[in-house]
Amino acid sequence: MAREGESRSFRRKFCKLCFDKVDRIDYKDDRRLTRFITDRGKIVPRRISGTCARHQSQITEAVKRARILALLPFTSEQYR
Amino acid sequence: MMKTYETTIIFDPGLEEARINEEVDRVSQSIAQASGEIVEVQRWGKRKLAYNIRKRRDGTYIHIKHKSPPELIGEMDRKFRLNEGVLRHLTVLAVKISPRAAEEAARAAEAAASGVAPPPAPSYIEERD
Repeated sequence: MAREGESRSFRRKFCKLCFDKVDRIDYKDDRRLTRFITDRGKIVPRRISGTCARHQSQITEAVKRARILALLPFTSEQYR
Repeated sequence: MMKTYETTIIFDPGLEEARINEEVDRVSQSIAQASGEIVEVQRWGKRKLAYNIRKRRDGTYIHIKHKSPPELIGEMDRKFRLNEGVLRHLTVLAVKISPRAAEEAARAAEAAASGVAPPPAPSYIEERD
């Protein structure tokens, strides 16, 4: 049985926003934000996306604002 | 005391352009009356909504950046809520670029113009206006 750190190969996660040197993620930038929501419309957790704390909190705020403006869904159509 | 805000308004897609202009003018006037200032008006046009609002699938988006006294925001919110043509609205504080970040950005632009490699990562320091 493959346990963590045994036989699986690991690739270190990194914050994609830090890599792109994003200073501030904007709630109006829905194209960029869609990368951080699941197909159900949930915000992808840090442990999955590897985002740093600073950017994750910016994403959270931005996604919530974008949802109010109907730029992003609260939930996807087929699950409603 | 003036603060910089960003207000986004989603109008009913059924409204004509003239009607929307009228509404935008009304907002601008109320800001001017409160001795505020319009920084920028963006018209995003008709966009598909991520979910239906009042059975509408689309909305006409208007984005206004303005300097206003904080007291005006509550009043503005009340007016939008009473306005039948407004499907949704949101006002948030605009993020002010910190002097250091602005300086770095200017330097990066300069470096890009002169064809030299850009300086190290921009600072994440920011200030709210």
